[in-house]
Amino acid sequence: MLVLSRKKGEKIRINDNIIIEILEVNGGIVKIGFTAPQQIKIYRDELYLKIVEENMMAKAVKKEEIDAILRELKKDDKV
Amino acid sequence: MIKFNSTRFGELSVPEDKIITFKEGIPGFPYAKRYVLLDYKDTVLKWLQSVDDPDLAFIVTESSNIDPKYQIIVHNSVKEYLEVDNEESLVVLLILRIHDGKVIANFNGPLIINADKMLGAQVIVESI
Repeated sequence: MLVLSRKKGEKIRINDNIIIEILEVNGGIVKIGFTAPQQIKIYRDELYLKIVEENMMAKAVKKEEIDAILRELKKDDKV
Repeated sequence: MIKFNSTRFGELSVPEDKIITFKEGIPGFPYAKRYVLLDYKDTVLKWLQSVDDPDLAFIVTESSNIDPKYQIIVHNSVKEYLEVDNEESLVVLLILRIHDGKVIANFNGPLIINADKMLGAQVIVESI
């Protein structure tokens, strides 16, 4: 892992077109600004990992669980 | 026709134009790029079955079946990615599972599909 120290207002450039700027440092919280082409996807890592985890859990749905899903949806009058 | 194997349905054979391509797969399964939608009996649920991994399948439904008010803003970058010409061709699917008797729909990770081009992506919604 590359480790760089930066002060408030300083930037990091990745490739030619991705800029990361340290906007604010306050206590234990750092505010970071990103400038990147539209197709670059930027997420909080914990949110990304949550989606991975959700996908992993949803992948294992069993037949009796699908019937339970249908029953629940019917109960709520959704189908 | 494309022939492939699936754990749940055995060997399947579907017309090529029924294949939905997720160019980068979805989070957790980047290697699986091609899927098909199969009806689950005569219900609003569908299987999103991977063509590339026989074991990989999700139960999904159109978001309106879960919450008619659920709306997401599809950013321009996603529209470009899915080669959208006509927004009416966009379909939003939610992956479902059940936990402790409650249906859990993945509202933070909807699947957006451009039915015209048969391209899909799972987008990550920062907050809803």
